[in-house]
Amino acid sequence: MSGMHDKFSTKHHNPHAHVIHQPGKRLLKKVPLRFVWNKVSGHGRKGVSTSLNLTAFIDFLITIVVFLLMSFSASGEIAVDKNVKLPKAENVDDVVDAPMIAVNGNQVLVDGTLAGSTRAIEELGRMQKVDELFNILKNKRELWKQVEPNRPFPGVAILQVDADIPAIVVKSVFQTAAFAGYPNVSFMVQKLPKSN
Amino acid sequence: MGGVDVGDSGGKKRSTNTEINMVPFIDLLMCTISFLLLTAVWVTNSRINADAQVPGPPDPNQELTPQTPEKVLNLHIAENDFGLVWKQGATVVSEVRVPKVPVEIKDGGRTLVRYPELGKKIEEEWKQQGGHRDPSDKKLDQAILHTDNRLPFKEIIAVLDALYSPKREMKMADGQVKPIPAFNMTFSVR
Repeated sequence: MSGMHDKFSTKHHNPHAHVIHQPGKRLLKKVPLRFVWNKVSGHGRKGVSTSLNLTAFIDFLITIVVFLLMSFSASGEIAVDKNVKLPKAENVDDVVDAPMIAVNGNQVLVDGTLAGSTRAIEELGRMQKVDELFNILKNKRELWKQVEPNRPFPGVAILQVDADIPAIVVKSVFQTAAFAGYPNVSFMVQKLPKSN
Repeated sequence: MGGVDVGDSGGKKRSTNTEINMVPFIDLLMCTISFLLLTAVWVTNSRINADAQVPGPPDPNQELTPQTPEKVLNLHIAENDFGLVWKQGATVVSEVRVPKVPVEIKDGGRTLVRYPELGKKIEEEWKQQGGHRDPSDKKLDQAILHTDNRLPFKEIIAVLDALYSPKREMKMADGQVKPIPAFNMTFSVR
């Protein structure tokens, strides 16, 4: 046991040896067991510690960062009414900042405020002015003119209409918006990739 | 980890090769990716433009001069076909019928309808009859959509998509020339 201890002793016998020396394998080296020492120092076997080449990993991360930065949109997500399933189209423009009129199966909403009933328009069966919608839009227009007295009013409104809503409702809301001072009405759609 | 090799120093000089700890750099990249993924907008919404053609109040100081009415494309959506009627005032200039050939595209649980043949025919018609083609011309040719009151909105959008497929160039205020749809649409009101 004492011979084994001498063999594995790590004491410096040279008093002039440097205190600081090149680091080597340290873990488990002081355990006075042969199989542990063999495992640690190698002794013909494959080393237990290995270094990974990180170049490919860093290249991959940088590619992802560049892709995400390129597709990053600072404008943020535009809130779409959860009950509205938007139709899809190819030939589209970018969305602009304007009052959002959502038309789902039951209600007409302006920026989340109730502005009419879809069912009532459908049941009437002919085009009509939606009074609540008209008043809300007119108030919005007047407010805009008070806030921006030196700029011409753009008159832009965006309709978020459910794909299955009948044309009579769309026409009524469209015409009401025009009467309230919003003649430039756009329909919000989901963008489809261009087909050849 | 990562290292910088600047060649063999030779002799007894201290080695010039050095190791850079790449862990903070990988941490930074991971944080950036997490931030960008969390703030990403995955659904891209766009818009299709329309114009309700509401005239402004007349200027009392300006004398009104009678103008020749422009040619307007009237697009009728019928049960089995489309009608493309160019009218100048009340006069019919030309009339073409285009059979309804829907192309159905499966999109998840939904079926999208497209009318590519209608788009091609509208482009041909615009090349023959369209009045606003010069890039410096700020006006667009007008199209009036005639639909049945029960027609679902997705059908209207499919027709509008075909109507906006012909493009023309327009010179913008900043001097750039951009391709824009040749038509602007409004609904017919009876």
